[in-house]
Amino acid sequence: MKPFPSAPTTPDSDSELLRQMHAGVAAAFEALYRRHQGPLYRFCLMRSSSAQIAADVVQETFIGLLTGAFKFDPLRGSLANFLFGVGRNLVMKQDKPSAQASRFDSDSDDDDDAPDAVCAAPTPLQRLLLNEQAEQVRLALATLPPHYRDVLILFELHERSYLDIAAICQLDIGTVRSRLSRGRAALGKRLAAWREPVNVALH
Amino acid sequence: MTTTAPPAPEPLLPPLRDPLFDNLRDGLAGQQAPAAVQHAVMAAFARQHGAARRPWWRRLGATGWGLAACGTGGLGAMALLLAVMMAGRPPGDDDAGRGDFIALDTVERIEQDPAPRMLATMVPRSSLAALGVAVSPDNAGDMVKAEMLVGADGSPLALRLASE
Repeated sequence: MKPFPSAPTTPDSDSELLRQMHAGVAAAFEALYRRHQGPLYRFCLMRSSSAQIAADVVQETFIGLLTGAFKFDPLRGSLANFLFGVGRNLVMKQDKPSAQASRFDSDSDDDDDAPDAVCAAPTPLQRLLLNEQAEQVRLALATLPPHYRDVLILFELHERSYLDIAAICQLDIGTVRSRLSRGRAALGKRLAAWREPVNVALH
Repeated sequence: MTTTAPPAPEPLLPPLRDPLFDNLRDGLAGQQAPAAVQHAVMAAFARQHGAARRPWWRRLGATGWGLAACGTGGLGAMALLLAVMMAGRPPGDDDAGRGDFIALDTVERIEQDPAPRMLATMVPRSSLAALGVAVSPDNAGDMVKAEMLVGADGSPLALRLASE
């Protein structure tokens, strides 16, 4: 006895898979999940520095897509951008309320020197990333204010365009450019600060 | 005639990615959400679409059918006793008025069931429309006596109307 209709033979576009998902085709939903969970998980992992939060957010995002708690409108952009946007909002909820108020409710980009304690404790990701440079970059990234982190992660690690980032973060392109530029500068400062003691020690 | 070239659009392509991130990007490439997450979302899908797609006789489940059988069985026994007392004769095995069985599962499944059993129940007439039984607006709200062939695991296999 089959509880659901049979799997689609050639699942192609997200919109077709979504249509089948709403019709009750489990294989279509599974294909959508498999297609998008990796990038979404990696984004949330880098954004939150917590594997547990990232997993929870991926789960909540897809269940919300399924139940209609998060309504996707294909006329307003791609499903991938939509999922990134939902994931970003859910991760933001995990941030401290005071930090949210100061960092997200304002468009000021002048708090790039404010350290973020998100990554104070060792995380599972630290054990996974064996490359020292990658780990340094990850740590530096984790200390950036979230609004710089969003843009840098999406641009540098997920290779999203300015337009995509603007859609995901609900910003205009000028702000995306500005935040990317300032975020890179702030990241450079943090990496320089970490490298200095190493260089001194070597001499 | 001279043609004027359209102004070049402002380049939307961002500058090149910073190679500083290459190692981190490579290190992240294999990261996937835990398998438990996929199990959870697929279970949510099954709950959402499974319940909605199952017909009413499957949604009842074994417990529901058991309760229905007990209830209707008790009522049936009382009605039978009353009929015997009123008529002064035991009821016969007359099957007049009963319809044919309507399969609710495949023939193979019905044939292979190790211990099927029959349950008496009452079903809403309106729900019979899905089984191909003609239902008029006048009696759509009535309850109809029926006999349900139930498998060993409690799943409904076939239905027969005991009264029209």
